[in-house]
Amino acid sequence: MTGWGASLTAAVAAIGAALIWWATGALSPYTLSIIGFAGINIILAVSLNITNGFIGLFSLGHPAFMTLGGYVTALLVMAPERKAVMLKELPEFLVAQHWPFLPALVAGGLVAAAVAVFVGFPVLRLRGHYLAVATLGLIFIVQSFAVNFSGLTRGALGLSGLTALTSLWWVFLFVALTIFVAWTLKHSSLGRSMLAIRENELAAACLGIRVARTRVLAFALGAFFAGVSGGLWVHLVTLISPNSFTFLMSFQLVVMVVLGGTGSITGAAIIAILLTITTELLRPVEEAANLFGLSQIIVAVAVLLVLIFRPTGLFGTAEPDLFRVFAKDAKRTEPRPNSNP
Amino acid sequence: MSNWKVKFAALAVALLGLAPPAMAQDKIGIAALYNVSSGGLASLDGPSLNGVLLKAKMINEAGGLLDGRMIEVTAIDTKDDTREAATAGQRAVAIPGLSAGIGHSDSTFALASAPLFQTAGIPFVTSGATSPDLPAMIGSEMFLVPFGDDVQAHAMAEYAYDTLGLRNIAVWTDNGMDYTTGLSKYFTERFTSLGGTVAVEDVYMTTDTDFSALVARLQSTAGVDGVFASSGPDTAGVIVKQIREAGIALPILAGDGFDTDLLVSVPGPTLATNVYFTTHAYVGLETGPADTFRAAYEKEYGRPPENAFAALGYDAMGLVADAITRAGSSDPKAVTEALAATTNYADAVTGAIAYVGGSRVPSKPVAIMQVEAGKVALKTTVTPKS
Amino acid sequence: MTAAYILSQIANGLILGSMYALIAIGFSMIYGIVRLINFAHGDIFTIGAFTTLASVGYLNLPFPLAVVVVVAAGAASGAVIERIAFRPMRGSPQVTGFIASLAVAIILQNLAILTITAQPRTFQVPEYLNALVALGPITVRVIDLAIVALSVVLMVALVIFVGFTRIGIAMRATAENYDVARLMGINIDRMIMLAFAIGSGLAAVGGLMWGSKYGQISPLMGLLPGLKAFIAAVIGGVGSIPGAVLGGYVLGLSEVLFVGLLPPEYSGFRNAFVFGALIVVLLVMPNGLLGKSTETRA
Repeated sequence: MTGWGASLTAAVAAIGAALIWWATGALSPYTLSIIGFAGINIILAVSLNITNGFIGLFSLGHPAFMTLGGYVTALLVMAPERKAVMLKELPEFLVAQHWPFLPALVAGGLVAAAVAVFVGFPVLRLRGHYLAVATLGLIFIVQSFAVNFSGLTRGALGLSGLTALTSLWWVFLFVALTIFVAWTLKHSSLGRSMLAIRENELAAACLGIRVARTRVLAFALGAFFAGVSGGLWVHLVTLISPNSFTFLMSFQLVVMVVLGGTGSITGAAIIAILLTITTELLRPVEEAANLFGLSQIIVAVAVLLVLIFRPTGLFGTAEPDLFRVFAKDAKRTEPRPNSNP
Repeated sequence: MSNWKVKFAALAVALLGLAPPAMAQDKIGIAALYNVSSGGLASLDGPSLNGVLLKAKMINEAGGLLDGRMIEVTAIDTKDDTREAATAGQRAVAIPGLSAGIGHSDSTFALASAPLFQTAGIPFVTSGATSPDLPAMIGSEMFLVPFGDDVQAHAMAEYAYDTLGLRNIAVWTDNGMDYTTGLSKYFTERFTSLGGTVAVEDVYMTTDTDFSALVARLQSTAGVDGVFASSGPDTAGVIVKQIREAGIALPILAGDGFDTDLLVSVPGPTLATNVYFTTHAYVGLETGPADTFRAAYEKEYGRPPENAFAALGYDAMGLVADAITRAGSSDPKAVTEALAATTNYADAVTGAIAYVGGSRVPSKPVAIMQVEAGKVALKTTVTPKS
Repeated sequence: MTAAYILSQIANGLILGSMYALIAIGFSMIYGIVRLINFAHGDIFTIGAFTTLASVGYLNLPFPLAVVVVVAAGAASGAVIERIAFRPMRGSPQVTGFIASLAVAIILQNLAILTITAQPRTFQVPEYLNALVALGPITVRVIDLAIVALSVVLMVALVIFVGFTRIGIAMRATAENYDVARLMGINIDRMIMLAFAIGSGLAAVGGLMWGSKYGQISPLMGLLPGLKAFIAAVIGGVGSIPGAVLGGYVLGLSEVLFVGLLPPEYSGFRNAFVFGALIVVLLVMPNGLLGKSTETRA
């Protein structure tokens, strides 16, 4: 990152911090939580973009990693006295754990990443639809375990009454971190290796890129941030249950990545915000008209239209120059990701 | 301004117009949180919401509460998603002039949204979540309209042991719901303490449709004289159908999850037989509030109430309205106090509601229903010993 | 554990497998010809079930006629969806089509919930389908036999159609290579639409069977059977019709036997087992049981 880039980053961070400071005082808890969810969605969409966009793997597994991260974080930060009441069969060493929020979030992310590596080595040899289904399967597997290992998870009831630890500051910290990591990665040699694998796996391998290892890395990195988001999410909702993160969420996240432009960090982030806000805005309409489900139809139709009329999404793989988004030369067309015969 | 911009501006204005007006002091705000658009709970939550809206409408048509103030119900769809339930809670407590929240047929969702009401000091009355531990887990603002699962499961266990003379039971549990796992636990607890044994415990998930493997296991387990099927409404009829189709005639016992038309319509009248389930006492009652409710529901929605959850929603709204009247105020704090002091809300369709001895789970009669050849009839009503 | 117990579990597995196989064929055909994982396939299954409800429950059509109506309705919906949603994005990356199909699935489900509510519904099948038949030590019902028989007949007919008729050969040519097929004078648009129509018709029959056997249908019923049928298709080797059939039976049998032969406390892991099995199969045989190993899975 150049000196100019660093100062820009610092400026953005400062503006963000100032906005949060203002928002925390001025806005209602409801609005704040929507902003929180929008932020977490940014983390999710941008991190999914590392897996799906940069390296061209099609993973639907984010909800599984969020569930893992959510449970791990919740179990680590919960006060031992509360665990003794709520989870009577919890192993002794887990009852004793009482971690601060930040290391617990990181631990949640690491557990998710470890599972991703474990699953990744076999599964990432597969491509396209196979990986999609295998990761979809992972959601169901994790869900089954969460339901049936009630000693750890309290089964279908889930862990409730979690402390609302997730403030906008934590969300902001991890949004910044995710974007920073994704951005640095994209413009590093490793990131270029990933893009190379996406464009042409064989050619990349011929150039000496270790395809399997790079893929597992991208998959695990995405899973890490998904795990962290899971931790943030459940401490915003104050509840985690086996049904907290379902396959529908995969759809929403994939939508964000696709609409934003596969591989575009800016695009994923912008769409994550737009989609969260649009869904909230459509809600009163649904309720007034007694047409529940309408917002989902509208989003799905929008997705179809974008796929038909602008298949590269908002930005393609590009990162628009923020100061010239609307200038004509920003509308360069990017090569499409590997198209199929 | 181009054409689409005009349209967009019009839409934005329309959206703003839909937002609740700032001058809402003259209305009494009630938030109703239900999973109406998706998920397995929609078949309970939809009727519940209808019940809430119906009761509110009836009260308004009769002149409202507190000298003519109208009830305004804001229905919020929680989309079978705990995140939606939590944000719905946040949205609800921010509604100006909100007196109380109503909602949910499953404890997991109540656990997501009710804590926000607790923090905001606004009462939350669940119409259908039956976990008796909810008030202890959430706090002083949490009230149940239905009886607790312990009460209905104990009633069924006693009925099975004493009246039906069953001694050796198979227990099937839907592991995907808190309600069903709790119900099985309480049933097993009481049944074994009475001296009965559980011959086989089998589990399944809410989304399962094919029970053939469980049925075959049941068939091959020797000495079983009954099945306790702890299930939600979506699997009730399917379970009975598959057990009976395999030629198993054993009595099937269940909780209020079986209180659905599907119980008879799915297996058909010949197979829907020798089934007993507990439910909220209203089905057998032919007089008073129950009749009024049924007639009004049918007039409003063009069909009879789908199940007892419609009645529970209706009762939840009625209970809150009763508390507001007794409090003489729509202030949430006063409403909570009045709710906690409920000694006899007799207009309830599902049995009079009383919160005795500081409990916020009502002590209500449990109806035991019997299904014979497709006919559902009230067998007996059990009043729990307090 | 007696022999009769194991036999009856095997019969249960075969019946379930027949339905998976019917749905899986559609997945496989559509994938074979357009390389699309059609997520909306499970919803065609739902459409089939609701068409049965409409024709048997409301129009009082005789059951065999209802089967025809259901096939037609399924085929028509498949063709319409192909025309509206998938044709405009043909040639885009594989993922695009997959996401489009997810969007279509969401639209169909929510439209159903908006118009007919999420309440489960039921319809009655004619009495003769419910009669019991003794097969050696086990008893099954006529409908179970009908499901297996109808599935087998439809599958055999399809294999003959695709293998030996002119249109079938044209379809296979299209699946092989669009450009060459077009040069041979094949209307590939029509072939693709036909594949959608046939696959969807079969899925709709699957919905009819499911609804008739279990007696309960709902707008969201298609999700899990749809996913499992897709797994069946992958296990069998996506793109291969006999593979899809084999995969359906393997999956149905192993799912029922997993629940039936292991102690009851494992029953809750049924779905975990199904998806876990998928991952294992893909590891050992990345192209599935009958998939072509030469095909590039790019």
